[in-house]
Amino acid sequence: MTSKGATSSGGGDDGATKRNSKKPQYSRFTQQELPACKPILTPGWVITTFIFIGIIFIPIGLVSLFASERVVEIVDRYDEDCIPAKYSEDMVAFIQSSKTNKTCSRTLTVPKLMKSPVYVYYQLDNFYQNHRRYVKSRSDKQLRSKAYASETSTCAPEATTGNGSAIVPCGLIAWSLFNDTYGFSVNKKALEVSKKNIAWKSDKESKFGSDVFPKNFQSGGLIGGGKLDSSKPLSEQEDLMVWMRTAALPTFRKLYGKIEVDLEADEKITVVIQNNYNTYGFGGKKKLVISTTSWIGGKNDFLGIAYLMVGGMCLFLAISFILMYVIRPRPLGDPSFLSWNRNPAGHFN
Amino acid sequence: MSGWDRVRSSSSRLTGIGGGFSRLSNMNDRLPSSRSVRLGRVQPQAPGYRTIHCNDREANLPVRFKGNSVSTTKYNILTFLPKGLFEQVTWCEPMRRVANLYFLMISILSTTPISPVHPVTNVVPLSLVLFISLVKEAFEDWKRLLNDRVINSTPIDVLQGQRWESIPWKKLQVGDIVRQVKQDGFFPADVLFLASSNPDGVCYIETANLDGETNLKIRKALERTWDYLTPEKASEFKGEIQCEQPNNSLYTFTGNMIIEKQTLPLSPNELLLRGCSLRNTEYIVGAVIFTGHETKVMMNSMNVPSKRSTLERKLDKLILTLFGTLFCMCLIGAIGSGIFINRKYYYLGLDQSVENQFNPNNRFVVAVLTMFTLITLYSTIIPISLYVSIEMIKFIQSTQFINKDLHMYHIETNTPALARTSNLNEELGQVEYIFSDKTGTLTRNLMEFFKCSIGGEVYGTGITEAEKGGADQTGMKIEEMPRSATSLHEKGFNFDDPRLMRGAWKNEPNPDTLKEFFRCLAICHTVLPEGDESPEKIAYQAASPDEAALVTAAKNFGFFFYRRTPTTIMVRESHVEKMGKIQDVSYEILNVLEFNSTRKRQSVICRYPNGRLVLYCKGADSVIYERLAEGNNGMKNMSREHLEQFGSAGLRTLCLAYRDLATELYESWNEKFVQAKSSLRDREKKLDEVAELIEKDLILIGCTAIEDKLQEGVPTCIETLSRAGIKIWVLTGDKMETAINIAYACSLINNDMKQFIISSETDAIREVESRGDPMEVARFIKDAVKQELRKCLEEAEHYLCRVTGPKLALIIDGKCLMYALDRSLRGNFLKLSLICSSVVCCRVSPLQKAQVTSLVKKGAQKITLSIGDGANDVSMIQAAHVGVGISGLEGMQAVMASDFAIAQFRYLTDLLLVHGRWSYLRICKVVTYFFYKNLTFTLTQFWFTFHTGFSGQRFYDDWFQSLYNVIFTALPVIVLGLFDKDVSASLSKKYPELYKEGIRNSFFKWRVVGVWAFFSLYQSLVFYYFVTASSRNGHNLSGKIFGLWDVSTMAFTCVVVTVNVRLLMACNSITRWHHISVGGSILAWFVFIFIYSGIMTPRDRQENVFFVIYVLMSTFYFYLTLLLVPIVALLGDFLYQGIQRWFFPYDYQIVQEIHQHEPDDSSRAELEIQNHLTPDEERSYAIAQLPRETSKHTGFAFDSPGYESFFASQAGVRAPQKAWDVARRASMRSRTKTSKKN
Repeated sequence: MTSKGATSSGGGDDGATKRNSKKPQYSRFTQQELPACKPILTPGWVITTFIFIGIIFIPIGLVSLFASERVVEIVDRYDEDCIPAKYSEDMVAFIQSSKTNKTCSRTLTVPKLMKSPVYVYYQLDNFYQNHRRYVKSRSDKQLRSKAYASETSTCAPEATTGNGSAIVPCGLIAWSLFNDTYGFSVNKKALEVSKKNIAWKSDKESKFGSDVFPKNFQSGGLIGGGKLDSSKPLSEQEDLMVWMRTAALPTFRKLYGKIEVDLEADEKITVVIQNNYNTYGFGGKKKLVISTTSWIGGKNDFLGIAYLMVGGMCLFLAISFILMYVIRPRPLGDPSFLSWNRNPAGHFN
Repeated sequence: MSGWDRVRSSSSRLTGIGGGFSRLSNMNDRLPSSRSVRLGRVQPQAPGYRTIHCNDREANLPVRFKGNSVSTTKYNILTFLPKGLFEQVTWCEPMRRVANLYFLMISILSTTPISPVHPVTNVVPLSLVLFISLVKEAFEDWKRLLNDRVINSTPIDVLQGQRWESIPWKKLQVGDIVRQVKQDGFFPADVLFLASSNPDGVCYIETANLDGETNLKIRKALERTWDYLTPEKASEFKGEIQCEQPNNSLYTFTGNMIIEKQTLPLSPNELLLRGCSLRNTEYIVGAVIFTGHETKVMMNSMNVPSKRSTLERKLDKLILTLFGTLFCMCLIGAIGSGIFINRKYYYLGLDQSVENQFNPNNRFVVAVLTMFTLITLYSTIIPISLYVSIEMIKFIQSTQFINKDLHMYHIETNTPALARTSNLNEELGQVEYIFSDKTGTLTRNLMEFFKCSIGGEVYGTGITEAEKGGADQTGMKIEEMPRSATSLHEKGFNFDDPRLMRGAWKNEPNPDTLKEFFRCLAICHTVLPEGDESPEKIAYQAASPDEAALVTAAKNFGFFFYRRTPTTIMVRESHVEKMGKIQDVSYEILNVLEFNSTRKRQSVICRYPNGRLVLYCKGADSVIYERLAEGNNGMKNMSREHLEQFGSAGLRTLCLAYRDLATELYESWNEKFVQAKSSLRDREKKLDEVAELIEKDLILIGCTAIEDKLQEGVPTCIETLSRAGIKIWVLTGDKMETAINIAYACSLINNDMKQFIISSETDAIREVESRGDPMEVARFIKDAVKQELRKCLEEAEHYLCRVTGPKLALIIDGKCLMYALDRSLRGNFLKLSLICSSVVCCRVSPLQKAQVTSLVKKGAQKITLSIGDGANDVSMIQAAHVGVGISGLEGMQAVMASDFAIAQFRYLTDLLLVHGRWSYLRICKVVTYFFYKNLTFTLTQFWFTFHTGFSGQRFYDDWFQSLYNVIFTALPVIVLGLFDKDVSASLSKKYPELYKEGIRNSFFKWRVVGVWAFFSLYQSLVFYYFVTASSRNGHNLSGKIFGLWDVSTMAFTCVVVTVNVRLLMACNSITRWHHISVGGSILAWFVFIFIYSGIMTPRDRQENVFFVIYVLMSTFYFYLTLLLVPIVALLGDFLYQGIQRWFFPYDYQIVQEIHQHEPDDSSRAELEIQNHLTPDEERSYAIAQLPRETSKHTGFAFDSPGYESFFASQAGVRAPQKAWDVARRASMRSRTKTSKKN
């Protein structure tokens, strides 16, 4: 019963019988004869694919790694060093005390020429910005528009002040705003750190309203972190925006600011840190990162190495497959591989 | 799955008897299952009785009888939503119910603060799944509604005043006088039969819808009411009927009719039930007694037990495993959360007033609550849409692929295949045992005179199906001889040999032997001629179709038997002495020595007109050869050789012999015979003994070979199926010889096989039986069977150890089977029969058929399929995993009980090897893929949990998670389930061995699931760690940092892309639908995220993902990761697939490779099977061709169903008929009827 036979609509002589006929209509769908390509994963294909991936991946890996290597990065952990020796036993007391002098000075050496813009990051460790209680403790509505100032239902436990008036911006995230500050100087000459344009444009333009001003912020009993200038609308508080784009992992970096001048190699940078933020309570670390960028972003060898590794592994696999193919070839479509041919008992059916 | 399988009923518009039939039959099994009342079990009756005033609507009004409108719908507009939803969580398969309930619970849970996700995450998938199920329910209910409407508005004639008026059924009321005019029409309600157009007030009805019996039943009206036939008369009828309240008992009815103060008792004999149809009667008049839902047919609702496939049952285990995994994951997370929570994380605001879930003071409560949180979070691990997807796939598979397969369309009977359930598609791909009925399934129940051997010479040039099958097997091509001009093919005669036909036999070397042969055929039988005494028009009524075939053969050779009187047989002999002369010869029949199973022969003593006394005898070669006269050994040996030849070709043989009797000898014998005949004790035995005295010194004439016509393509099909690793058992009610013959004809048994025969027809058993003590007989047979079984088993195991042992076959008859199925012997019997490659059970009852089926199903845990065509196969069909009915001919019972209906046995090849195998393959892939994609997705969440302080923070946005299953990954897997093909249909049939992968369940083993699980673990790790590790630092030249939602969107993009591409990697054939669905799914994700993250809504949602995709896409990181992560994730699978195919290829992969370069067989043209014989095959073929020294099988069979009853009925005694015989014969009748209609 070929398709031709089935589709031919007859010469009309069988018109009457056709009407009563329960013969199914031919269609490629019902007869399961849709045209299809039938890829077979032959050793040739396997090897070709591996080689192909290798050839594509290794250059990408090299380029990425190169880009990442070009990035100059200075990382300085200062949380412990910025504690005076007498407080080393009780760092929490030091940081919580309002009387202690939190200023701390660090000297960093620029290893290589750092072309502007140079980015300043702070990096926190063991800080669960992705904790469920933390992540949801914010009100995007309130941040966006003045009209929703009292939309604090999602902000517990930092929704309202003791007397019930809404906190703007509310929630744990804003409350725990990072408040260490860094002042940079090279050869006694202060470097200006620009805080402009450190948040994503979409945050600035859409998520943080230009008519929303901080209100009742950090006025409660316990101060979590930084304060905000209540005269500036949220749309200009880029520190807050950066902070409120909560990090995915408990170890994260956030952009602090930009230095718009080149830093020469071997220059000594003096950083004056106002060590305000309490990471000591939960055993976190604080790091200052000064870094340039390339097209790939900051220094991150991961992508480059991953590409190289995968590419290299593919080439290796390709070679091993080729060797295997030479040493122990398996002819394609050899009927002797069929199970019923391999098993002599079963073939006499 | 109460779901699509209801389609079973609505799609079961069966072939044959017309639309109304199926409509009503649907009604039968369509009734709400809540009212499942088994047929025959009588419900407690309402007290009292009802009084009906006939032909008087006003008088009946106060009683408020129910109307005749019938509704079979499950819902109405108001109840649909609540009831339908309720059924989804209470009334479906166990695991599906669990999954639905689980999601319901989760949905409720997600409205509490415990939940990390918005309720939408779990509500959307659940409601979508429920929505689809409800749409389907609504659709089916709608169809039922339409159906009801059609039925309710069927017109019926009702007496109004003095006229018949046509009103729709639904307007009918109790007490109305109706006239059923339509021939073959259905009764609109339960009607009291008053008068009929037939004389004697009888009418014939068919009750197939009620009890499945297709034979006609006679109903007779009370004599008193015969006259009320015309409207004028009928309008005078003012009776009062007092009868029982409506009940569901089909066979009882009591009541009284009171006419003019005369009370007449009523019985079921006057009752015409709704659902029955009128036959052979012009019209009847009746009074309506029960209407609508109170009719007996409506009060009987059959709840068809729905079968679930083995794979689905295994799927339940997989789902349970998933629940276990879920529990473990949640437990780990919960313990972690208890340990993690600490007040030192001051930024979490964990002061004294913190809610319980985060209160460090009670870590246990934290853990418990987090457990619930995580259960909500990881709910995606349970593939809720799996069931609905599988249902859809199977539904399309059965309605579009199986029902519309042109390869399974039978032109002669105009019958396509019909999947009556969509539950069992994949079960078809795993069948290991087929239980087949013989008559009507394997054979056409058509005996044809095919060959003969006369005087040591073979005549007849035909080739049997078995020989064709055998030739196919060995790769030989048999040239079929062109039919010569002399060939003739009529019912019972399919013989061609120019040496015999048209009187040419006279020129053969031994015309006298030939003449004896033909006379023997024409005289020695018990056939009754019927109808016109002309060769064309005469019909032979024979107890056995064999006899009819033999007499027909004689007719065609020029010895036309046309009349029988008690003492003579008239034969019109042509070409006797010279050409063209026709002469009527009358032979005086002196004695008939009847056939029985002990004697295995039949003799007739006749006197020629010229006084010659001859005894003609025909019978089994074994008994005839014992009684032959000495001498002429050459011819005897020749004939024996021919017998063997015929036998191995599957033909049924009979030996013919004669003996000239001297008058004195006869007279003296006849005295003894008459004495024996008139003896009162042991008459049978004495008759047999007397017969022995005269049936000796016979002269062999030759032998006949009758073909028990097989259905087309049966041997080839069986051969193919057995290559596919399927073992075929023949379960038949026929005699052992017949069964063995058919087994030979179907190449189930051949002479190379070692046959174990366990028969109750042994002398020892017979002797015990003759003593007549049933207890002793039972004990004796049981012992005999036990010993026999043990002996056979020992021998079989002995053969099993040897590599080159012969194949084994077991033949057992019903009586022995009864004991073999006994609890104590069952084990041995099962062991033995599983070793044997073919098993033939003969003389079995329908119940035994079912018992044997269940024995293998339950005892051996193998997947079984039963195929049959008649009422006697129903129990077997229902007992097996898969029941297949032969449709298109007659008798709907087998079809109505079956899961699949096909027109021909040979379509099993397509049904199993093509559809079954593909369905199995596809469903396996769908299930494992579902498992994989949900596990992968959920595991990424799980890894994230470790980095969130076990707080149960969700990684993905709510909508990502809720749409993952229902949009982004839903369609491709359905496409896979519909279109995936490993090898084409023709290759599936060419390499039936591929089917073994299904029997072994190669594609849904725990190992396979394990591999998928391993790779989903690997992939989830890649997704999570690669994406998070690479996202840590600043991105772009601007050095800005990603937040949680950027990273998770990145990861989700990778997951969607990978999971969809992984599907393509799992496909064996990729159609454009694959491209569209896979591309479409990925595209859908991007379109969704572009829109979703691009807009801000005034609705209450956190704008977490606002603009993330645009932010992401503005970085190189996005593209680098999107290239890297899916490739790395898929590399593992790719490597595994490569290595697997290279070193451990599946059979189908080899076949794919062999036929790699062949063009896609879009027209499915049959591939020419190549005749390359391997050396082994050549050798075996050569061996097969060697002459055999001792052949066991000579093919004797003489079938006489109801043989004894034939003569008994002539004598006016009715032998007890077996139910299935009646049904079978009844169905034979209706076959001619339906064919006429068509």
